[in-house]
Amino acid sequence: MLPAYYQFYCPVKILSGDNALGYIPFEMTLLGVSRAMVVTDRGVAGAGLLSFLEAAFADSDRRIGHVFDEVPVDSSNRVANGLADLFRERKCDCFIAVGGGSAIDTAKGAAIVLSGETNDLLDLQGAERIRKDLTPLIVVPTTAGTGSEATRVAVIFNEENNVKMSFVSDKLYPRVAVLDPRMTLTMPPRITASTGMDALTHAVEAYLSVQKNPLSDAFALLAVDLVRRFLVRAAEDGRDREARFAMANAALFGGIAFSNSMVGVVHALAHAAGAVGHVPHGTANALLLPWGMEHNLGVSAKPMAELSFHLGGASGFLDPREQAESAISLVRNLLLKLNRVSGIPLRLRDAGVGEDLLPAIAQTAINDGTILYNPGEVTYEDALGILQKAF
Amino acid sequence: METALGKGFRKFRGLPWTLKLCSWGKYRYLDFLLSVLAAAFEAASVRVPELREELASWEEGRTFALGVLPKGPAITLVREDGRVRYLGKGLRSPRVSFLFKNLDAALPVFSGLMGSHHAVAESRILVNGSISGAMELSRALISVETHLFPGFILKRILKRPPPFDIRRLILRGKVWGAVAGILVRRGFGRKTPP
Repeated sequence: MLPAYYQFYCPVKILSGDNALGYIPFEMTLLGVSRAMVVTDRGVAGAGLLSFLEAAFADSDRRIGHVFDEVPVDSSNRVANGLADLFRERKCDCFIAVGGGSAIDTAKGAAIVLSGETNDLLDLQGAERIRKDLTPLIVVPTTAGTGSEATRVAVIFNEENNVKMSFVSDKLYPRVAVLDPRMTLTMPPRITASTGMDALTHAVEAYLSVQKNPLSDAFALLAVDLVRRFLVRAAEDGRDREARFAMANAALFGGIAFSNSMVGVVHALAHAAGAVGHVPHGTANALLLPWGMEHNLGVSAKPMAELSFHLGGASGFLDPREQAESAISLVRNLLLKLNRVSGIPLRLRDAGVGEDLLPAIAQTAINDGTILYNPGEVTYEDALGILQKAF
Repeated sequence: METALGKGFRKFRGLPWTLKLCSWGKYRYLDFLLSVLAAAFEAASVRVPELREELASWEEGRTFALGVLPKGPAITLVREDGRVRYLGKGLRSPRVSFLFKNLDAALPVFSGLMGSHHAVAESRILVNGSISGAMELSRALISVETHLFPGFILKRILKRPPPFDIRRLILRGKVWGAVAGILVRRGFGRKTPP
């Protein structure tokens, strides 16, 4: 039942519900900070989502020191360094990241630079290398999938060396995560579907991981339940506040789960498909998830069978392997429903990946750190086999 | 579950110097095992085709290390001319390193009782350097372990142990022979390589 040893850590204070944004100034008081640097991208700013945040500061003694809305699609060391300079210049003392993974990672990157621990971010990549406390970070997600609001990871592109640097440290956890249903209402159906499947993939892979533990399992199962009940609804009707709110929480729970037990082969392949074939992360996860589960069926039948019930399957009458196979079918059915509602691709070829790219994707995937946490072995041949099936 | 050896040790725990003596013993034991691993890396990098294939994609002069924090034993190796060369004990500015958090965290792994993926799952290891470099080192380490440990240990420590293969058995014998030769030349880990 219990692993011989496990660790679990989540120091993020969660504000979740109607008008959650309104509590940010008070949280800044508790954190002992007064001037916030808002980090976001043009899309979020253009959609008018910042007006909700600005309204929260109208009757407060806390201030927004500056709004930086030039976060690119992939956060880079150049942008992080520039943001750190601006932060000092505007005399800010905390970050509020509003957006998806890129805005959050850019704020985390700038916070690492500001800690003064190094002049070169490359020195600190890897696990547990950041030792100093970082500038407080408050996160307001505008998508429901990445779970970045509750993770200890930052991925920043190094423009000089042309490599993606990964930073993993407990210091990278945001101090506060704010889930306000108003912030995700404008998400189009296809992005709702792909980010929602990203959340499901986090939860499923965290539940199957070699690092799974009772606490991460609890969060993973909560996330799976919510995705099963609300993802199709959110994709069908973007104004459905209950579904939006549930999906925001599902993403958060998935984030907490995988931050403590990691993900596996599906993420390794999705990261590689993004890097080599430019497939959006959520879409890649969505169409690879059933094939990744199938690959792990031989070694993870029991936990996969447990997932079946939470995915909406009948329980108790099948043997574990049959039950696990039904879990895979249920994920496939969910993807089919989302395809009808949003047009999310079902196969890699529909996502614009050429067959000639599969070997390069497989080669990149086996150098992804998440492979270590996958329950089954994944060689180059295994990775290529999964990609060919998903093609 | 406590072993008979553990029960025996428990009786002596209250005696003065016992803990220091245990710690010294673990240090020496791991220091020796790391010397064996360094020799195995060198021997396998010449003889094992999978490892040679893996090393072929590494840049020349890549240094890597395995060791124990905070002041435990460590070894540093380098990829040179398509093979691995042992640079010596301690951390010598490696580009990638696997560092165990303490002596107890490292013991079962280097003794062949626990796989490296299991050690990662139990957060026993810190990885310094690029993630892709760490994954390449992880594959190289598995390749070395496959030719260092007998089948019954591989069943315990690998996610997918290799099937029985007479050629692999012969290759393992050759690697063992080479490791023994290197260890004898180096005074069983006491001498620094030239």
